[in-house]
Amino acid sequence: MKVVVDGVTLDLPPGTSAIDAVFAAGSDVPYFCSQPYMSPIGACRMCLAKVGAPRKDRDGSWILDEETGEPKIFWFPNLMATCTTAVMDGMVVDTRSEPVKAAQNGMVEFTLINHPLDCPVCDKGGACELQDRAYEYGEGVSRFVFDKRHQEKHHALSDLITLDRERCIHCKRCVRYFEEVPGDEVLDFIERGGHTYIGTLEEGLPSNFTGNITDICPVGALLDATSRFRGRNWEYHHTETTSLDDASGSAIVVDGRTGRIERIKAGHHPEINKTWIDDGTRFGHEYADAPDRVRRPLVRHDGRLVETDWADAMDYVAARLTEVNGRDVGIAIRADATLEEGVAARALADHIGTGQLDHAPRPAGGVIAAGGQARLEELAVAGAILVVGDVTEEVPIVDLRIKDALRGVTPPSLFDHGAPIADLRLKERAPRHAEILTVAAPLRVDLMRHAGRAAQYPAGGERAFFHALTALAEGETPADGDLGMPLEAATAAVDGLRKAETAVVVLGGWVLASLQATEAALHFCRAVGAKPMLLGPMANSYGLELVGVAPSHARYAYGGMLTGAKALILSQLDPAIDPAVAERLDKLELLVVHASFLTATAKLADVVLPAAIGYEKDGTVVNLEGRMLPVRAAPVDAGESRDLTGFVKAFGEAAGQRLEGRSVKSARRWLKKGLGVDLDALPEHGGWAPAKRGPARVAVAVHEAPAHGGALRVPTMVRAEVLDRNPHLRAATGGLALGLHPDDAAALKLRSGDEVTVPVAGVPRRLVVRPSEAVPAGLATVPATPDEPVGLVPIDLKQIALERRALEVA
Amino acid sequence: MSVLDIAKGMGVTLGHLFKKPMTVQYPEQKAPVQARFRGRHHLLRHPDTGLEKCIGCSLCAAACPAYAIYVEAAENDPANPTSAGERYASIYEINMLRCIFCGLCEEACPTGAVVLGHEFELADFRYQDFVYGKEDMLVGVKGAKWQRREAAAKGKDVELGFTAPPRPELEGVDY
Repeated sequence: MKVVVDGVTLDLPPGTSAIDAVFAAGSDVPYFCSQPYMSPIGACRMCLAKVGAPRKDRDGSWILDEETGEPKIFWFPNLMATCTTAVMDGMVVDTRSEPVKAAQNGMVEFTLINHPLDCPVCDKGGACELQDRAYEYGEGVSRFVFDKRHQEKHHALSDLITLDRERCIHCKRCVRYFEEVPGDEVLDFIERGGHTYIGTLEEGLPSNFTGNITDICPVGALLDATSRFRGRNWEYHHTETTSLDDASGSAIVVDGRTGRIERIKAGHHPEINKTWIDDGTRFGHEYADAPDRVRRPLVRHDGRLVETDWADAMDYVAARLTEVNGRDVGIAIRADATLEEGVAARALADHIGTGQLDHAPRPAGGVIAAGGQARLEELAVAGAILVVGDVTEEVPIVDLRIKDALRGVTPPSLFDHGAPIADLRLKERAPRHAEILTVAAPLRVDLMRHAGRAAQYPAGGERAFFHALTALAEGETPADGDLGMPLEAATAAVDGLRKAETAVVVLGGWVLASLQATEAALHFCRAVGAKPMLLGPMANSYGLELVGVAPSHARYAYGGMLTGAKALILSQLDPAIDPAVAERLDKLELLVVHASFLTATAKLADVVLPAAIGYEKDGTVVNLEGRMLPVRAAPVDAGESRDLTGFVKAFGEAAGQRLEGRSVKSARRWLKKGLGVDLDALPEHGGWAPAKRGPARVAVAVHEAPAHGGALRVPTMVRAEVLDRNPHLRAATGGLALGLHPDDAAALKLRSGDEVTVPVAGVPRRLVVRPSEAVPAGLATVPATPDEPVGLVPIDLKQIALERRALEVA
Repeated sequence: MSVLDIAKGMGVTLGHLFKKPMTVQYPEQKAPVQARFRGRHHLLRHPDTGLEKCIGCSLCAAACPAYAIYVEAAENDPANPTSAGERYASIYEINMLRCIFCGLCEEACPTGAVVLGHEFELADFRYQDFVYGKEDMLVGVKGAKWQRREAAAKGKDVELGFTAPPRPELEGVDY
């Protein structure tokens, strides 16, 4: 459609909003309430412009201007809000004439009437849309001589978000966000007119995606409590990187100042997280600056760990390793290590001459499905979705993309100015196609609220569940009880998956924990023609599997290594939380631990080397859909912490060898040679990982006994292993929860909030009791950590020890 | 240039030989400074409540062309506030070696908290002694770090090497 904006002629697709036409033409109108990926509502009236269009006569021809002979432009009687106006053929938009300027000017003045002038103490100051628009479009002088509206100044909406009600300009972005994006309606306007304020009914914001409202608030009304008063916006150093908190590969921006991470904001990746991130990713950064961070290498002398430097520590390691047969050395790294670190670990294993190399947690079923897996973009437009697992906690972005699919609006195509500012296809309170979504889990999970069908199969019954579904798909009658939902519902779900153009089956950690369940799931996917999406347990599970950080034999896998190896090099792993493992580790000839904190394992180590965490690394990760994404180091003071490439470099220097993977650059040379990917030329939004795997080590065949036990380790949005070092997030989540059915809790005489210690698979866990109807009777849920991955494990509820009673609520 | 011009010039020189010298025998004599002289910074308090005027907004640091100012803010304890309002400067440092005494911080300050005073005797021995913190600049502190150090060692009051017209606004600026 031909549109003329301020004299610039454009050809735009129908359905484009006038505001996007204005920006596409390089012109500018101010706006507060529009927000990419959200419905335009025209609340702020800032984007007013003079809009006109030609009209057709009854005979279908254009009404012509008598003087010029051109189609006559009929101007709208009033200025139009461009965000809610769709373009018409031949439309003319004028953003520069006098009435438009007067209107913009007046709206800025009107918006500022009740806005306090506390910019110097406001955390949004310097990055505030209202400040910028007032500067660009305002009068500069206030005519308002009366008292401004006074409301509550720092109302804690939750432990993570502070609301300043005076600053609110009622753009409704936050209210719309909760309804439209995560579908958790937890905020709304209360009262009317000048008294309107944002509030919640219940205490706090029960959603996993609350932090995004601090990003989209155009003023300083909604602020991140973790960075309250930490620095001004112009002082922050912004690092655009990729989150290593889960397998989604969400784009984030790490804001640091004077060597500290002060806050994390959502980055923009149109095909992954759009502009949203979950609260675990946003607020879970405080541990990076925890006071007990290991900042210098430690070597054990006379039974005590003594500080030293990298060269000394590595001389010691290299010397001690010569005393051990290379084949008896085990190397294990955590699965959020970058691709480059994976190469470094391989190089180290090759140099030492061991096949005992692994990454953990590595689910038995693997995370790369043969034949390719669904992409997030496919998920967002899928016509039928089956989810097995708790995605809202496991990879929260997948949850949001599923909700995109429920809304049934395809992701918008981008303009030069980015995502459409006003996508007219999006509507407030749009109907959701809940019928396309089936959610199955051993307990009631959050996504089931949005699902047309929910199935609650018995814990550990993933394999049986998929067998039953496959039987159904093949026209047989499945065994009763395996499906966890009525037969008609299951039939509808299977039919939906088979008939949909794009059908996606999302497999959570409980499925991947078992090879047989994964195979059953993939078999089912083939049977109905659905694409699988495997949720890897950590940020780079996919990538490490790709480059082949895997043992040369099944008995050399991480679990076997802990019993079989005589010397161990562990990066960021903490197996010694299990007292039985700790006992064995204590007897090792050499234990080298590369860790960020003095963990239980580090305390047993001969050498502790300070490890860089995700925000401090340069490298590449591969997310769950197989997309390589760049990780960039924020300028953070982490002492002498290094990542594994730094580890290998120091080791190589001590051993007199130049090892592959001694730096990010060297690792990338290897990746170019081995996998044929040039990571130095990685596009801004990442590139697809090659289908070809790294020089293969043998695939691990796991002889699998069915999982059993009374505790289900569940994924959590927060990183459970560092939750205690994230004080804000800990307060908001109330600590790590032991989920029990209320009857079970009552039988154990436990109340909500009681702090208990209970052995779970031999590991004493300190947890907070949270009775919940969502948990089936006879099952307990405990949060999974990288060292205790998701799955069914035994728990000894008889040995539960009460540490602290919750306060009695009168 | 004629001989007459040279004689004229020499005449000026000769004339000055018989005038009262301008030289001040500093530090034996006290140097007079003008009221608007820009010397070491003062951090002011509200005259009535005694609360600090500084709210830790960092605008002085943003305005500073020499990057001499470092501010870290924190939240006031409502029961025992440091400044008026929610926010105060927990760290306020000026590196006097970097400072060019241009007074832009004073202009940028939205609360009139930082004001350039008269003190100019800031020479010291160690780099870290040039970084002035809140305790060195809050109103009421007299003298540079070394002057207070020496005065404390000798058990005397700080003696400044200059005279200046009184500046009552240093105790509290009306804005």
